[in-house]
Amino acid sequence: MPRAFDTSTAPFDRLTADERAELLAALDIGYFHPGQKILEKGAPADHLHIVLKGAVEEYDDEGHLIAVLGPKQIFGIRAVVHGAAGANYQASEESLVYLVPRDVLLSLIRRNHEFAVFFYTDISSKLAEVARTEKSGQGIEGVLRSRIRDARLRAPTFIDAGDSIEEAERRMSETESNSLMVRDGSRIGIVTRTNLSKAAIFSKLPLSTPVGDCTSWTLISVDENGFVFDALITMTRHNKRRLAVTRDGETVGVLEDIDILGLFAGNSQLIPGRIDRARNLDDLAVAARDIQSQVERLHRQGVKVREIASLTSDLNRLLFAKLFDLLAPPSIREVGCLFVMGSEGRGEQTVRTDQDNGLLLAQPVPEADLTRFRADFQQALADFGFPPCPGNIMVSNPMWSQTLDDFEDQLRRWVMTPDPESPMYLGIFYDAVAVAGDAELIARAKDRFLALMTGETAAIAHFAKAIDQFPGPGGVISSIMATVGREEPIDLKKSGTFPIVHGIRSLAIEKGLTETSTFERIDRIAETGLFDEAFARDLAAAFGWFMGLRLQSQLRAQLAGTTEGESLVRASDLTTLDRDLMRDGLRVVKRFREIVRNHFKLGMF
Amino acid sequence: MLERMLRRIRREIDRRRLSDPQWQRMFEEDASGEVVSIDCETTGFDLRKDEIIYVSAIRVAGNRILTSSAFNALIRPESATMRADAIRVHQLRAVDVEAGRPMSEVLPELLDFIGGRPVVGYWIDYDVSMLDRCARRAFGFRLPNRRIEVSELYYELKYRKAPQGTRIDLSFNAIARDLGLRELPAHDAFNDALSAAEMYVQLTDMKARGRTIPRDRGADVATAIAH
Repeated sequence: MPRAFDTSTAPFDRLTADERAELLAALDIGYFHPGQKILEKGAPADHLHIVLKGAVEEYDDEGHLIAVLGPKQIFGIRAVVHGAAGANYQASEESLVYLVPRDVLLSLIRRNHEFAVFFYTDISSKLAEVARTEKSGQGIEGVLRSRIRDARLRAPTFIDAGDSIEEAERRMSETESNSLMVRDGSRIGIVTRTNLSKAAIFSKLPLSTPVGDCTSWTLISVDENGFVFDALITMTRHNKRRLAVTRDGETVGVLEDIDILGLFAGNSQLIPGRIDRARNLDDLAVAARDIQSQVERLHRQGVKVREIASLTSDLNRLLFAKLFDLLAPPSIREVGCLFVMGSEGRGEQTVRTDQDNGLLLAQPVPEADLTRFRADFQQALADFGFPPCPGNIMVSNPMWSQTLDDFEDQLRRWVMTPDPESPMYLGIFYDAVAVAGDAELIARAKDRFLALMTGETAAIAHFAKAIDQFPGPGGVISSIMATVGREEPIDLKKSGTFPIVHGIRSLAIEKGLTETSTFERIDRIAETGLFDEAFARDLAAAFGWFMGLRLQSQLRAQLAGTTEGESLVRASDLTTLDRDLMRDGLRVVKRFREIVRNHFKLGMF
Repeated sequence: MLERMLRRIRREIDRRRLSDPQWQRMFEEDASGEVVSIDCETTGFDLRKDEIIYVSAIRVAGNRILTSSAFNALIRPESATMRADAIRVHQLRAVDVEAGRPMSEVLPELLDFIGGRPVVGYWIDYDVSMLDRCARRAFGFRLPNRRIEVSELYYELKYRKAPQGTRIDLSFNAIARDLGLRELPAHDAFNDALSAAEMYVQLTDMKARGRTIPRDRGADVATAIAH
C-alpha cells in the first residue's frame, strides 16, 4: 500500500475513498532496467502499468519511437483490459512502475462508471467524459450545456393576423408578456410591444389596424431539444432577441435573450445590436473591442473553443458587413462582394492572429473609388486591432480585390501553372465566405475553382502535399513526453491544427464540398466513406482539443503582451491528463497524415 | 569482518539451542531468492532500553516489490517511555501507540513473514539488533538471516575505486538522489522500508550489469536519472 501513490489525478480521482484504499492495497511495484521489455505488442498483461520513476519508451511495430512516458503516466491499458497491448513498451532508464492487478482494475471498472470511461479506447469518448466530469454543474458551461426545453420558456400566446392592434395590446396586458405569436394561415410571426408602439405612435396607424401589418414574419425557430448555446448562437447570428421554440415542428414557447442574459457575463447577443446601431467608425471600434474581450471571458467561463470560435466568427462577419456599409461608395456596394477567408472563413479564429479578406466585383468600378476603399478599409481594420495579414491577403492588395473575370483567370493560373505560393492562396480562398454584398460572386468563383480541380488528381495532390510542410510527429511526440530539461516545445499549429485543416481541405476539394468549417467538412468526408465515423469523431475531437489548447496559449501570450511563441506549449506546463490527451491527439494526426498521404499517393512526389 | 564471523558463530549456537522447531526454517536461507526489506520506528535510540513501536516489512521477489502484501504493525511498548527526540523523528506519540498490539503478538507473525529470506535495509544492523533483543527474550535466538545493507551496495558502486581522501557520503538522501528516487516522507517505517527496497532492486541490478555510479558529477547524474 504505497502511500505516495497519487490518486488525485485522472482517472484515479474518480474513485471513492473505499475504492482508492482498495486500489492502493493491491499495488505492487516493478523494477525494469534500461532496455528491458515490459510489454510486447499484441500480448496480454496481468497488470496496468503506471510509471513511478524513470522513463518508458513506446514503440510501434517498425521500431519507431511513438512516445516516452514519464512519472504518473499510465500505459498498457489495452493489454490488461482487451488482452492485447497496443504497442511495445520498454524501459529506457532504471524505472519503477506501479502494477495494478488485472482483477482489481476490472472490478473497479465494473463498479465505477466514471472511472471506466477513462479506459475507453477512442479519444472522443475520453474527451467527452473529461469535459462532462470537469465542467458539469460548474459555472456557465453547465447552463449552456442544458437543453432549451429546460430553460424558462414563455408560453406562446397566439393572436390572429386580422385582429386589431388594440386587441393585441389588451392580450399582452392580460398575459403579462411583451410579445405575441401572430397566426396568418400557415405562417407564424411575432409582434412585440415595441412594434405596437411604433405602429401607433410613430406611424400614427389607427388602433383598428390589423396586427399582421406590424408583425415581423421572419421568425426564427429552434427545436426544444437543442442546446441553450445553439439558441444563443442563433440569436447572435440573426440579430434576434426572441426565438420560437418548437416541438415536432409545433411552436410551444418563446425563448427571450433576457432569459439567458442574466446567466452570462458575456452578453454576446448585445454586440450585434451595437454593430447594427453604429453610425461611424468610432462606434464600430467599441464593438470590435467587445468581440475580442468576450473571447477571453467566454474561455474563462469554460465555454468550448468550438463555440467561442463560431460565435466570434459570426460577430466578426457582422462587423465586416457593417464596415463595408459605412465605407464602400455606392459604385462598389452595387457590384461588390466582400468576403473573409482562411480561419475567419472556416469560423475557427478566436484570438485575432491575422486577417484574410478580399473583394470581388461583378464589373469594373471607377479606379479612384476602389483605391480609396482599399485604403480606408485597411486602415479601419488596423484601428480595430486586426493585425495585418503577413501574406498580404487583404482587400488592400489588388490581387484580392478585382473583378470576377480577372479573378477567375487568376485562379486558373494558380491551378495550371502553380508557383510556391499557389497552394496557400488556393487553400485560403477555398475557405472563403461572403460577408457583404452579392454572395453569388463568391459562389461562382468557388464553383469555377472546384470545376478546375475536378479530375485534376495531380493538381490536388500537389495542393495536399503541403501537409508535409512541417516535420512529422515521430520526433515530436517523443519530445513531448520527455520531461523537463531536455524538452522541445511543441507547435500546436504545425503539429496539430494545420495538418488537420489542410488535409481535410484537400479531401474536401477533391469531393467538391461547399462547406467551409473543418468540423462540417470532416462529417461530410466521413459520409463518403473515406474514413469511418469513429475516426471522424476522433479527428474532430483532436482538432477541437488542439484549438482549445492553442486558445489558452494565445490568451496567455496576449496577457504577456507578445504574440511570439503563441502556438508553442511545453510538456512541463501541461497536466498529466493534458499530456495524455496530447499524445492521443498527435497519434490521431499521425494516422490522418498517413490516410491523406496514401489517398493522394504523396509518396510518389 | 570480525563482526560477521561472530554473527555466524552466534547463529550456530542459537540454532543448536533452538527449543521451538517452527523457527528452524529461519536458519536456512530461502531458495526463492526473495528478500525482505525492514524498517522499525522506536521509542528512542538506545539499543538496550528502547522498544519498537512500528515495524514494516516488504518482500521483494525478483524485480517486483510486493507492497500489496506488506507487513505493517503498530506496537504498544511494554516499559520504555516515549522519548521526545524520537517522537520528533517518527511523530508517533504515546497516545498513538496505545492503539498498538503487544510485541509478543506481533513478533511471531513478523518472524513468520520474514522466514529464511535475507533482510534488507538502510542501517539494517540497528533494526535487526532491536528485533534480536525481542526474539532472544521470546524464543531464545537472534535473527539468523543474512543482512543486506543498501548503503554498502551503494558504496561498492560509487566509492569502491575512489582515491584516498574522497569525501564519502552514504546518507539516505545521497543514495535516493543518485538513484533518482522520489522523496517520500521519511521516518515512516513503511516509506523507509519501501525506499530501501527500491534502492535494493536498482543497486543489485546495476551491479549485475556492471554499472557504477559516477562520483564527481553526482548531482548532474541525479538530474539525468531523475530529470
